[in-house]
Amino acid sequence: MSPNRKFALSYSYYPGCSLHASAKEYDVSTKGVFNALRIGLKEVPDWFCCGATPAHNVDELLSLALCAKNLSLAGKVEGDLAVACAACFSRLKTTQHRLKENDIKRKQVETAIDGPVPLGKKVKHLLEILAKDFGLDKLEGAVQKPLTGLKIACYYGCLLTRPPEVPELDDCEAPTIMENVIKAVGGEPVAWSHRLECCGANFTLSRPGVILKLSNEILASAKDAGADCIMVACPLCHGNLDIRQEEIEQATGRRYGMPVFYITQLVGLACGVSPLRLGLESMIVSPAALLREKNLL
Amino acid sequence: MKNAKMHLSTETMNLGFVKKVEALSGSSVRRCFQCGKCSAGCPMRSFMEHPPNRIVRLLQLGQWERVLAGRSIWYCASCETCSTRCPNKVDLAAIMDALRKLSWDAAGPSKESYVQLANRLFMENIRTYGRQYEMRLAAVFNMKSGQFLKDLMLGPKLITKGKLKMFHAKNQNVGEIERIFSRIEEMRKKGEAP
Repeated sequence: MSPNRKFALSYSYYPGCSLHASAKEYDVSTKGVFNALRIGLKEVPDWFCCGATPAHNVDELLSLALCAKNLSLAGKVEGDLAVACAACFSRLKTTQHRLKENDIKRKQVETAIDGPVPLGKKVKHLLEILAKDFGLDKLEGAVQKPLTGLKIACYYGCLLTRPPEVPELDDCEAPTIMENVIKAVGGEPVAWSHRLECCGANFTLSRPGVILKLSNEILASAKDAGADCIMVACPLCHGNLDIRQEEIEQATGRRYGMPVFYITQLVGLACGVSPLRLGLESMIVSPAALLREKNLL
Repeated sequence: MKNAKMHLSTETMNLGFVKKVEALSGSSVRRCFQCGKCSAGCPMRSFMEHPPNRIVRLLQLGQWERVLAGRSIWYCASCETCSTRCPNKVDLAAIMDALRKLSWDAAGPSKESYVQLANRLFMENIRTYGRQYEMRLAAVFNMKSGQFLKDLMLGPKLITKGKLKMFHAKNQNVGEIERIFSRIEEMRKKGEAP
């Protein structure tokens, strides 16, 4: 009997490298929320790195082969594939998209991984699972502590919506899926200008100066729009906005003090998951004062 | 130089290189009509010596050596804004990938070494461990780039938060990744893959 049979919805799960280290609170809170909502989640055994940006930057075939290998491993676990990281999500879906369209590339990749690529395995971002599969109505019903009065800047970044034919998640220039989830759990999404701008992504390693400019613009835009905090769905965006925030403040002289939550942390908080199971203590910019002020802690 | 004329012909345009880029990227280079929308939306524009639309124009005019020697292609963040908004369906993000691959394979001259170093270490990590170990990646990058003090203040902060781990859950099947790398190398040797 499948271990997930007791759940109406259950998924195979690809956490990706960051969720086992710098973004461990995203992993912890994902499991916390899914458990609270009675959604099954089973990690794909022995998954590999998806190759992220560096692989496709210099070697498309390798990048496609790494993702194809992961899809093939995921094929052995029941349920659609739930992905938390926006970059892994984008790479896995790009691979399916390119290989469906191009037989030559598909054959090269099949040779590289020595097996077929499960192009039919559905790859879904957590946002999609919460908003569409589980559904906004049920999510609203699961709320125990609405995020009343919490002004949230929903930040999509690049890869959740672009290029539109790959993620097939929402409108690429005017998405609403994050705002809809936040409204369902009682929060207040703010209107702001930089929800789809790039944070600087993996230049955080090679050229951190890029992050100081791009992520500063995002923080400034959120602050100017009156947001109390930012919500993200990508570990790289989180690293740049949260871990580098103090450095950005020192470089620009502007104080933000802006907690950066993962979507699963905020949904979890609203659905009554214990803060201990949401990894709030791992955030570099502490959310404690803000959450106490809003009576959420 | 005032009266120097630029001669355009199929020879000077070096269509061979353009076709190589088109084959690798799966996108047309020649279809670009220089509206400039890609550059208008590019978040990395201010870090590049050639804005994205000019890169395409240089390719169209056979000036690819200038493109590969510059730093612009390495400063593309792969945010996909250009490809999403192009009115003529030029997939510039894919063209950038193709240009980087051509420059990478040729080990050609480029002004941007840090991004290439980071990419190389990232790929070596995958080949050795099957996964990315961020702490190792950052430490080796600092050593090899000679920036021993880079992000020194971040280290302790991340370690106290448990965000940098010395030990990771290991992939038990890491030999499989080496086989993928070698099969690809094998295909390339035989000329069966780009």
